[in-house]
Amino acid sequence: MTCADCLESLGPYIDGELLANEAAVIEEHLKTCPDCAAAHQRLVSTTSRLRAALTRHPAPDVLKARIRAALVQPVAEVSAAPKRVPFYRVVGWPSAIAAAAVVAVLSSALTFSVTARRPAGETVRSELISSHIRSLMPGHLTDVASNDQHNVKPWFNGRVDMSPNVPRLDSLGFPLVGGRIDYIDGRSVPVIVYTRRQHVINVYSWPTNTTNEPPVTASSHGYNVIHIPRNGEELWIVSDLNRAELGDFARLLVGNS
Amino acid sequence: MAEQGTTRFEQVVLPHLDDAYTLACYLLRDQHDAQDAVQEAVLRALRYFDGFRGEDARAWLLTIVRNYCYTWKKGRATDRSTVAFSDTADHVADVRATDDLVIQSTESERVKAAVDALPDELREVIVLRELNEMSYREISEVVGVPIGTVMSRLSRGRNRLAEALGADSRRAG
Repeated sequence: MTCADCLESLGPYIDGELLANEAAVIEEHLKTCPDCAAAHQRLVSTTSRLRAALTRHPAPDVLKARIRAALVQPVAEVSAAPKRVPFYRVVGWPSAIAAAAVVAVLSSALTFSVTARRPAGETVRSELISSHIRSLMPGHLTDVASNDQHNVKPWFNGRVDMSPNVPRLDSLGFPLVGGRIDYIDGRSVPVIVYTRRQHVINVYSWPTNTTNEPPVTASSHGYNVIHIPRNGEELWIVSDLNRAELGDFARLLVGNS
Repeated sequence: MAEQGTTRFEQVVLPHLDDAYTLACYLLRDQHDAQDAVQEAVLRALRYFDGFRGEDARAWLLTIVRNYCYTWKKGRATDRSTVAFSDTADHVADVRATDDLVIQSTESERVKAAVDALPDELREVIVLRELNEMSYREISEVVGVPIGTVMSRLSRGRNRLAEALGADSRRAG
């Protein structure tokens, strides 16, 4: 074996990529050639320095939460859209037009009666769930990403007409992730983002003229929504975290702000 | 059916999320960009999952993550309408990293800066080999080049790092 051959094989040799008999030849050569042995030593020390100094990055919980949420969404969309045969193919044009007219009149009457009866909180709640799902898509979770409330709170100055409470709850198992601004119920509102294990918790708040009322918890589409009207402010908490732990979070949030 | 597909996908692909995120962090050099890129890449992986034949899930996922990271970088470069010719960019990175090396004291910061200063094609093989501990065959699959090219890039990368780090410790000592 020449030194040139040996030097060329040193990489595969230390990486365990050589066959046993090839490795044996290198080993033999290294015993007798001080130059190649020094090169081998240098290479080993470089890779061990790299391995010792470079850090692996475990995927953060918030990333896992976003991926989990995103994986659930497309499936839900697919199952919600079954294959449809166009209506006019089944019944023919004239009757389709007549039927469409009837449906139009009926559905607008229905829409009217449904919206008239639906409490205002309902539309806000579904807006909030949409906002929560949107927040889990890439690049939408935070406008300001920080686990320090002294970075998150001032960021809202001049951006929304109220300064949200940003209590630190990481020692209680709910680390702060950051904040953003969303558009809910016709206004820009501050959103504070916390996590619990692999679940994202969005906290929305805006001023209102209600008095203190007991919190209301509701669930839909696998999300829990807690509504807390208090002291001229409405607080909404949205997450796919289970009810019990989200309730704990709500109590901590209110107690610490 | 769709439900089952997602569950199998989760079992096969999600265990390699740490490797995927590590690679993205070193390719994009920004943890928030890396999170967004990995999430987007995983969703792409789900779309291509039918084409996965069940050989090496890690190499398969990292291929998608790597390609997406480069698409992401290219998109960013044109977004900012910078004239980012790779030679110029590498040169600038080299100068900055050299300055950093003088200032930075800890070993791990120095090594990290030296790795960051490598051109993409050398940095990716170093990360895949030294941090993700992949075989040459796996690296060749992820990067899409022959094993011989993996070998020579790895060797060039290590030589450059040995030079950068060796020169620096002499200057410090």
